[in-house]
Amino acid sequence: MPHGIDISGESCRGCVNCIKACPTEAMRVIRGKLKIIEERCISCGECLRICRHRAISLKETEWDSVVGKRPTLLVTDPALCTQFSWPPDPSILQDILRDMGFDPIFKETALAFDLAALAQARVIEHDSSREFPMISTYCPSVVRLIQIRFPELIPNLSPVESPLETCIDIWRAHHNRYDIPSTLAVPCPARIAMVKKPLGREASSVDHVVSTARVAREILSRNYTPAKPGGALVPNSRWVSWAASGGEARHVRMFETRPLRTLAVSGMRNVIGILQDIELRRLKGVDYIEARMCDMGCIGGIANAESSFLSQLKIENSGFSTDISKKETSVIEDMFNAGIWKMQEPIRPIEQMPLGRDMARAMEKLSELQSVYAELPHLDCGTCGRPTCRVMAEDIVRGEASLDDCIFRLREKMGNLSKEMNVLSKRLVHTMTPEENE
Amino acid sequence: MSSLNSRDSFVIEREVKPLDFLSAGETASDFKETLKSLGIPADICRKTSIVAYEAEMNAVIHGGGGIIAMELEGDRITIVAKDQGPGIENVSLAMQEGYSTAPDFVREMGFGAGMGLPNIKKYSDELDIETKPGEGTTLRIVIFLKDEGGVE
Repeated sequence: MPHGIDISGESCRGCVNCIKACPTEAMRVIRGKLKIIEERCISCGECLRICRHRAISLKETEWDSVVGKRPTLLVTDPALCTQFSWPPDPSILQDILRDMGFDPIFKETALAFDLAALAQARVIEHDSSREFPMISTYCPSVVRLIQIRFPELIPNLSPVESPLETCIDIWRAHHNRYDIPSTLAVPCPARIAMVKKPLGREASSVDHVVSTARVAREILSRNYTPAKPGGALVPNSRWVSWAASGGEARHVRMFETRPLRTLAVSGMRNVIGILQDIELRRLKGVDYIEARMCDMGCIGGIANAESSFLSQLKIENSGFSTDISKKETSVIEDMFNAGIWKMQEPIRPIEQMPLGRDMARAMEKLSELQSVYAELPHLDCGTCGRPTCRVMAEDIVRGEASLDDCIFRLREKMGNLSKEMNVLSKRLVHTMTPEENE
Repeated sequence: MSSLNSRDSFVIEREVKPLDFLSAGETASDFKETLKSLGIPADICRKTSIVAYEAEMNAVIHGGGGIIAMELEGDRITIVAKDQGPGIENVSLAMQEGYSTAPDFVREMGFGAGMGLPNIKKYSDELDIETKPGEGTTLRIVIFLKDEGGVE
């Protein structure tokens, strides 16, 4: 079962819309039911977007088991702050969330995002052992896409951990309380996958996940009206801008000491395009790439309630403050020097199964694959439960499908059979009535 | 795409159309995916992909289209790129980084930066250029499967 999403066997009608939307060809419909090949799934959520039967859902924690059980640390993805009619100011949200029975840690969140941005800038400027352009690891789906489809770009991945993990570490270390559970509000299945299968660390600091849509719905249904923020405990709100494409890159540049060339790319096709460009070494002179699988960034995540365009507008209108006091800077510098921003484990490729055990065998299979492919109609209709005829040919060669699963091949076979029957039936009549002709 | 295969070698051939910038890169990514499915190491796949891409672009920009073939045999990958273009007048000049004879409209699209042949040289183990003005160009490029002598 893939991380981040659930499939409801009851609701799945076996239509093949999702398998065609999947960018990594990870989905199949076998015997009327959806199957996901886990080592190919990047939890991007494209299948959730396209499913009309609600057969695919987010794997979030039951609401009742996380709410009102104080103390529960709550970390919100920046996208949550953009879900309401009021400005995306975390100080406003803080009071509401407290009222609901959570303990939001916005102060540590703001700190962790500052730290991540500063660390990013420092690594780019001083770590010459890196491959450039460096690619942000903030979007877990992009990282997984690289692990699966672009393993040669793993040396380009940034070693800076997601601030959504780091902020909980900071809170726990600061309060010396490691027993308090934490909940993360997420805008997409990829963030859930990040918790279930952490990036660059053994275990996630997050214990439970709820969707931003769920939190937003609870808040809206309780008719909260934004009051003036109670305690101005949130030092800054620039981290909220990470929710929209370009926010992270801008934050990183805030800490540059020489002009950094950063690019912000969002949307699946664009991300794949830019990764291909990096692979072909066509992006000389670019230092940093902020890549997000969802169009417009995390505000475009499938688990949000608000229109991504309105979210974008709110972020634009709220501005981006680069104010930072000397004291704040020195706190962040200390944390940088302590290394708590760093992934503890390297990110490794996710091995894909080659066609054969060794190369000679694989080459044989590849030739076979080509001749099987030539037999298929090249319509990529999906009726066989595979996204393309090419994937079908691969599955046949691997022994996971039969040529008869192709409806066009089956029709051809039936046509031939009926011709044969026709011939046969005439012959039968002739033999049964031999004397009539005489 | 056509292919000619026996037990020990594997050939894929692709036609490249002149000035077809939209499908540029398809041959390279096709070669890469093929090598990946055979379990060839990622760095070799990448080198092949870069080399094939540059050869493809040369055929698109200068060669009036052509044929690019990848052969996998024994310890090596051989890429043969053949075009019917004007040929290269001065090969040593063409091997210099930044030297380009690409027309302005091609450069305006961000191609033709004069890195084609230098990149092919950089990411391959052997490069042989056969060209005659007016008679086209044939590149024969070898990348060894064991990562020796590769430039990286």
